[in-house]
Amino acid sequence: MEIRNETENGVAVLTPVGRIDSNSAREVEEALLPLFDQPRPVLVDFAALTYISSAGLRVLLLAARRSKATGVPLRLAGMSKAVDEVFKISGFAKLFQIHADRAAALAAGGTG
Amino acid sequence: MSGPVLNLTIHNDLAEISRIAPIIDAFCADNGLGDELAHAVNLSLDELLTNTISYGYEDAGRHEIQVDLSVASGGLTVRLRDDARAFDPTAAAEPDLDADIDERAVGGLGIHIVRAMMDDIRYSRIDGHNLLTLIKRAGA
Repeated sequence: MEIRNETENGVAVLTPVGRIDSNSAREVEEALLPLFDQPRPVLVDFAALTYISSAGLRVLLLAARRSKATGVPLRLAGMSKAVDEVFKISGFAKLFQIHADRAAALAAGGTG
Repeated sequence: MSGPVLNLTIHNDLAEISRIAPIIDAFCADNGLGDELAHAVNLSLDELLTNTISYGYEDAGRHEIQVDLSVASGGLTVRLRDDARAFDPTAAAEPDLDADIDERAVGGLGIHIVRAMMDDIRYSRIDGHNLLTLIKRAGA
């Protein structure tokens, strides 16, 4: 799958495009987890994501653990209704700092 | 009374899940079922088929899985039939949704999502096959 990787305002921004399912979750894992080896905050922008399954939630849980262990903040932004629904059903919404969109997430600052 | 049906046969390859997703989306759209119902069905199928394909087979051979959709009373019924090892998702343990980041387990989350998305799930094991029926009512 296409995964954009940029830096904006000192924040590492990862933008997965399309679907995160059991077939593509590995690619997201390989792109996302190494970002916690650097001190910049990490933002996963879901604006171009149409779909996520529990395989994708697993990768985000691994990222949250890496964030907690390293102290590198993790933020999420730009969830569609479908993606937001999966986060809520799974009880994942409360585990993350979730912003309406990328601009709001970049403006948030702070430690988490 | 029988409504529109969609009969799909896939094999035990995870790539099949994203292959059938647009076919199911189109079937739902053609029958006026709406995006939310289409998402619920595709996500549920993804979770169930991922489990079956990843953990259900004891050999490395090719297996077929039958996926049948039928429209009735504006809702959708999905029937899954596979020859994987017996697995009853209706009897699976519920995950702890309140656990924090370190204690949170991902195992069981897929089945939890299916239960939350569907209105009714029925399982039976017949002649060495798992038969699963998922029902999603219109507007539910």
